[in-house]
Amino acid sequence: MAEKETVKRMVKLIFPQNLIREPVTFQMAKKYDIVPNIRRARVTETVGELVLELEGKEDNVEKGIKYLLEKGVEVKPIVGDIVD
Amino acid sequence: MGYVKGLKCRECGREYPKEPLYVCEYCFGPLEVIYDYSSIREKLSREIISSRAENLWRYQELLPIDGNPLVGLHSGFTPLVKADNLARELGVKELYIKDDSVSHPTLSFKDRVVSVAISKAKEFGFDTVACASTGNLANSVSAQSAQARIKCFVFIPADLELGKVVASLVYAPQVIAVEGNYDEVNRLCSEVANKYNWAFVNINIRPYYAEGSKTYAYEIVEQLGWRVPRHIIVPVAGGSLISKIWKGFHELKKLGLIDQVDARIYAAQAQGCAPVVTAIKEGSEIIKPVKPKTIAKSLAIGNPADGYYAFKTVMDSGGWGEEASDEEIVEGIKLLARTEGIFTETAGGVTVAVAKKLIEQGRIPPDELIVISITGNGLKTQEAVSSKLDKVMRIEPNLNFFEKEMKKRGGEKNGS
Ligand SMILES: Cc1ncc(COP(=O)(O)O)c(C=O)c1O
Ligand SMILES: [Zn+2]
Repeated sequence: MAEKETVKRMVKLIFPQNLIREPVTFQMAKKYDIVPNIRRARVTETVGELVLELEGKEDNVEKGIKYLLEKGVEVKPIVGDIVD
Repeated sequence: MGYVKGLKCRECGREYPKEPLYVCEYCFGPLEVIYDYSSIREKLSREIISSRAENLWRYQELLPIDGNPLVGLHSGFTPLVKADNLARELGVKELYIKDDSVSHPTLSFKDRVVSVAISKAKEFGFDTVACASTGNLANSVSAQSAQARIKCFVFIPADLELGKVVASLVYAPQVIAVEGNYDEVNRLCSEVANKYNWAFVNINIRPYYAEGSKTYAYEIVEQLGWRVPRHIIVPVAGGSLISKIWKGFHELKKLGLIDQVDARIYAAQAQGCAPVVTAIKEGSEIIKPVKPKTIAKSLAIGNPADGYYAFKTVMDSGGWGEEASDEEIVEGIKLLARTEGIFTETAGGVTVAVAKKLIEQGRIPPDELIVISITGNGLKTQEAVSSKLDKVMRIEPNLNFFEKEMKKRGGEKNGS
């Protein structure tokens, strides 16, 4: 059986205040064997924004993103909404 | 020969060659076109610009193409209407409407960006252009790619009403209706853009495409006799138009065509989709995505690509942001039509309503020059107002009936 393909996905994570101090990204990475390659971050008093690349097996990356969503982190493509 | 030096990351400043690139490989920031302004400065003067044909290419040196433009030879240079009736109604002294509701060929400001995108796509050697859009963008890409003789793919969400597709379909592009929610359509398109060697206008061509919006600002300045408006209200969806208006003003200053940029820029959004205005009001430079719920479909972008730059533009200029409810949007459309004889789409209803609010709040003083941006045509969003207009006078084909009806109306009006 062929190995599942490794993918890289550029995403923006938006953390609500209650999650800014929690290591959710780290937990997600560990849990699903994903390499999070952080490129940029902005944090204010009430919200945090992290721009990064997630690298891992395709279904793991999907699961990792789902995990973040369930935790309450918004996961958005870095190019913004394309449908105009 | 063009004057483009290359691309530059808006976040980290790293430079890239002029290629169909759109994201910085280091910090994932968006790329922006940079120019050789000192050479442009030698070439351009007010007189030279004013002597050229009245379309957006009269500012060609400030647009990112190297050869001759292919499309858009009749786009731009839309009217700047002195709106005295509306000014009186709003209690202000000097008010103008920059009216892209009559843009050639598809009646919205998207003709500006698409003219540049398609000219650039051809220059890059692409044989296919594509976009994902529920309205104005799709109309313009379809029409202009027909004229440019380039293949065209338009992606739409499958649940889009057929009536909305006609104004694209008529130009015979390939229309792909994607059965999925909004996020899934977005996702698919970005995968297509990465896999196919196409010019996806608002993805891999976006840095070039977006530059077309600057012409809206240049024209306003030129039409005001080389003056920058003190206040300008701009609709915000992805946030590109508003940031490029700001860039446009500053370029004119850099070129010595104006002395200073004392403009305040105001972001106008619909209440049901106001991520940028919320950020402005909260003073937060992080734009929180929202799920859009508004009749202003052309502004319904919940995760704006240039939201942060839209926010920055407003803050740097000393402007502000406001939002309009669906009801206020309809009132805005009707107000502009009733006072100035201009029928705008919902996005224009948003800017008129927001202008009214900002004036009433005292944020915009009544005695300074104001420009309201009107970026699209009301014939495209008739359903938004059709049930909110006066009833027609229905009569039998007989003069008596007509006169009876007139009397009734007159009576009503006189309150007797
Ligand atoms: C009529 C109209 N006005 C304004 C906008 C906003 O432009 P931007 O996405 O550059 O903020 C759009 C499209 O997005 C539009 O269709
Ligand atoms: Zn960068």
